Amino acid sequence: MTPTTPDFANELHWVMDILHNIDVGLVVVDLNMHIRLWNGFMQNHSAKAPEAVLNQNIFDIFPELPETWFRRKIETVAVLQTAAFTTWEQRPYLFHFKNYRPVTGSAKFMYQNCTMLPLTNAQGEVNHVCVIIYDVTEVAIHREQLQQANEQLQHINRTDGLTGLLNRKAWEQSLRQEFKRYQRYHRASSLIMLDIDHFKDINDTYGHPAGDEVIRRTAAALVSSLRDSDVAGRYGGEEFAVILVDTDATGAEIVAERLRTSVEASSVAYEEHVINYTISLGIAELTPKITDPTMWIDTADRGLYNAKRAGRNRSSIYYT
Amino acid sequence: MNTTITLSEDYRDCLQEVTNIAMGQAGDRLARLLDTFVVLSIPHIEILAPSDIAMAINAIDGSASVSGVCQGFIGGGIAGEAILLFNDTSFSDLSRLLKYDGELDHQAERELLMDTANVLLGAFLRGVAVQLDMSFSLGPPLVLGQHQRLDNLFDPKTVTWQQALVTEINYKLEGYNVNCDLLVIFTEEFIDLLCKKLDYLLL
Repeated sequence: MTPTTPDFANELHWVMDILHNIDVGLVVVDLNMHIRLWNGFMQNHSAKAPEAVLNQNIFDIFPELPETWFRRKIETVAVLQTAAFTTWEQRPYLFHFKNYRPVTGSAKFMYQNCTMLPLTNAQGEVNHVCVIIYDVTEVAIHREQLQQANEQLQHINRTDGLTGLLNRKAWEQSLRQEFKRYQRYHRASSLIMLDIDHFKDINDTYGHPAGDEVIRRTAAALVSSLRDSDVAGRYGGEEFAVILVDTDATGAEIVAERLRTSVEASSVAYEEHVINYTISLGIAELTPKITDPTMWIDTADRGLYNAKRAGRNRSSIYYT
Repeated sequence: MNTTITLSEDYRDCLQEVTNIAMGQAGDRLARLLDTFVVLSIPHIEILAPSDIAMAINAIDGSASVSGVCQGFIGGGIAGEAILLFNDTSFSDLSRLLKYDGELDHQAERELLMDTANVLLGAFLRGVAVQLDMSFSLGPPLVLGQHQRLDNLFDPKTVTWQQALVTEINYKLEGYNVNCDLLVIFTEEFIDLLCKKLDYLLL
């Protein structure tokens, strides 16, 4: 088949038709960044006709294109004579196209993967680069939803449902980390174990939902009296635990007393009842004598036991 | 029963030469693009089992300072995958090399890996293809170990092949803390055809 036969013209026609109608974006730019080809996909999504863009500088028409980066990419393709790629994970899009599907499109814009191909002329030189734009919105959205679901599951897995504090498993993990940190850096660190006084009586007198409310309010008081770096968890039924980083026993006692007095001063209204209650707290600062995280908990528990024995509604430091 | 594939001395030498030339060409283009001298090692060619390759890839998992990028290629009846492993490579050096400005966050690091791999792999594969009078289609590079565990990505127990021809090359860039190993993997089914292509050069 020679270029003069009608078949050739026909095939060229087909190719042009395919280029125009294929469901990926095709853009050809020359090395001066002028647009030389603009297919149907690009026309339709950008609402720019070929007359408006052809032979124009691509950065004038699309100011959202990161110019330095794009030039560098085109240069790489031309010098190495090899394709370059970018995925939506690096850059969500190259051309900002709005989501066009009112029913099934949940993204704000079209996520794009992009391939840049060198185009050689008859002399084997690369004077043009073809930029192919793939719409990968669907894939991106699914991936992001999956990631969100995973994060949510991870959060649920670490959180106590009633209080929103860390659950025991997650809190103990933090405790082990803090213990390791202490072994390495020997920065002061303290632990508070606290317990609601006569909690069984509250449950027996007002019912379990009232008991739950007391637990929730204690957790809220705990959260509001702590700093961002402190790690609070629900250790057991009515027992809570807090890791205070960079804090010695004296500092921890100030935190404990602030918390104790705020619980003492407040009351929980449940149905027609007003419930006044108190908490007891045990404090243990980490020392070289404490050889593992369990021993640290035991030490703070001894402080808590002393506070209970001394009449409750108080905090007690246990020195090792 | 599997028969163990062996590569004759002639083919090994020839492939080593093809690789050398491709790397030389790649190095020349890279030097022009990146304004730096590329130090290349002598390519090491071997027939390996999947478990050997898994071992090389799994080295990434253990160490935070190693990253990897994969890129598949296919053309002329031959397909394979190239893996670029970055050892002790400094991201700030990579960004200086590729003339990136801006903050080096997780996304930017990912982009640097992709772009560096693209440049190194693209230049090399093109060099090989031109000598064998072929052209390869390249798939997009894939950063290893960011979205999935590596043992999910390559499990030697699930692959359908027993042996592969592996070419290993070490790249260093002069004046930069960039050191990477390139593994090019052709599975057994393509080795015959690859040898036929090499025959043209040996004649």
